Amino acid sequence: MSDYVIETNNLSKKYSKNLVVNSVNMHVEKGKIYGLLGKNGAGKTTTMCMLLNLTYPSSGDIFLFGKNARRYSNVYSNIGSIIETPGFYENLTAYENLKVIAKIRGDYDPFRINSVLKMVNLDTEKSKEFRDFSLGMKQRLGIAAAIMHSPELLILDEPINGLDPFGIKEIRQLLKRLSHEFGITILISSHILSEIENIADVIGFMDGGVLIEEITREELSERLDKHVEFEVSDAAMAVKIFKALELKENEDFTVSENTICLYTHLNLRDKFNELFVKAGIDVRKVNLCEENLEEFFTRFVSNN
Amino acid sequence: MFTFIEMEFLKLKRSKIFLLSLLGAVLPPLLMFIAVTSFDEGQTFEALFTNVNMYMSAMFAVLIFAIIISYLFGREYNEHTLKTMLTIPVSREKFLASKYIMFLVWIVILTVVTSISTLAFGFAAGLDGFSLKIFADGFAQLLYANVLLFLSFSPFVFVSLFITNMVPAMIGGAGLALVNLMVYGQNWAPFVPWVCPYLIASGEIAEYSTSITVSYGVILTTFVIGLVISYIYFTKTDVSI
Repeated sequence: MSDYVIETNNLSKKYSKNLVVNSVNMHVEKGKIYGLLGKNGAGKTTTMCMLLNLTYPSSGDIFLFGKNARRYSNVYSNIGSIIETPGFYENLTAYENLKVIAKIRGDYDPFRINSVLKMVNLDTEKSKEFRDFSLGMKQRLGIAAAIMHSPELLILDEPINGLDPFGIKEIRQLLKRLSHEFGITILISSHILSEIENIADVIGFMDGGVLIEEITREELSERLDKHVEFEVSDAAMAVKIFKALELKENEDFTVSENTICLYTHLNLRDKFNELFVKAGIDVRKVNLCEENLEEFFTRFVSNN
Repeated sequence: MFTFIEMEFLKLKRSKIFLLSLLGAVLPPLLMFIAVTSFDEGQTFEALFTNVNMYMSAMFAVLIFAIIISYLFGREYNEHTLKTMLTIPVSREKFLASKYIMFLVWIVILTVVTSISTLAFGFAAGLDGFSLKIFADGFAQLLYANVLLFLSFSPFVFVSLFITNMVPAMIGGAGLALVNLMVYGQNWAPFVPWVCPYLIASGEIAEYSTSITVSYGVILTTFVIGLVISYIYFTKTDVSI
């Protein structure tokens, strides 16, 4: 029995001659938040659609909760999802839309519907029809529908699209809570990289239909480019000190006017600072700069 | 399946198309009421029911059914609800079947509305010769014609799955209604699947040299072809997002 809630084996999708998803081997562990990152057209939505049986794979296998999804279609009842813009009946209210879903699923409970509507702050909009909802409200109703039946797995494609900063924060906290308190596994894609950086335990990088790599948050932290910036009164003197310590220019450090960027021996930055001060150099600033996910993603995708 | 139909009704809450279809069902009786009161056409209940049934099943129903089918199936694509429904999860076969059944239920509702409004307009016009038998026969005739028409409309299900916009359905329905008018009375009318339901239900088929079995065959063949292609298309095609 696999420990993965989602596991794909050479999953591919081809539209005529266009291979949009190419041999994806994805591994989503139980209880983790897995962020799927990629540019537009990278194949994220198609992959998620295949996981949800909305799109049929051209080849490859999907295992959900350790079972082959093609043979055990009952696994889908344990999944909540949002794919792009949530789809609801425009002439119905939020409650009525959730009622349709719950009735068809066979677990209609008015108390539960009211409770999830409250959770996503839609409980005050009882008589408003879906067609009059703002994009943020639609997105929140999508999340309510996805979590209403307490699924063990959430597959969310761009769930924070259209949300304002407060909405984004609320949903981020909700997803973290669902994952950490209730052990729900979440596969989430977003083009807002900082969001993925904020919540994901594991990040999968997709480009051109290929899942390039899956990296844990810890591995990512280690692989992010870091450097220390010293803004000093006498850069030439500082360079002399570095060279005396056998650090190489353009390899261990670079110089630009009064700023020296150190790329190696970062843990010794306090000692270097001490040496500068002892040599009579005024150190105006010492900054530890870390590459963010966006910069890493750009560099990573370009390199691959 | 009962829950599916119950939810199909909930989906129609505040729906303008449902109200429009009811208005469409009242239109033939209203027009005949105007004809009776203004032009002294058909002064008996029997004549009124005969005329209403002919105009309804041979012309108005074709247009209304095309719009209903397009709405029932097309809205799931246009409002992006198909992905929501299928990920509940719901089997595509069950979903398609529920839509077919809802279409039939909708047709029965329209038939009831047409027959009752015919009765009401008949009384309003002060027509002679009312009997429960005339009403029951008129209702049964229209219901039979509409149910046969339901069968012959299955290719429209495929069209509405393929082209989800309602405009082609409206144009197609209007075009087909005109074709029905042109075909009606021609020797080959019993071979046209959207004309022969009325011919069979009204008994007019006896006036043609073609056997009634041929007309039933045409309707059933159309139904099976429409059902099979809509089933294959719906179950084998990816859901567009």
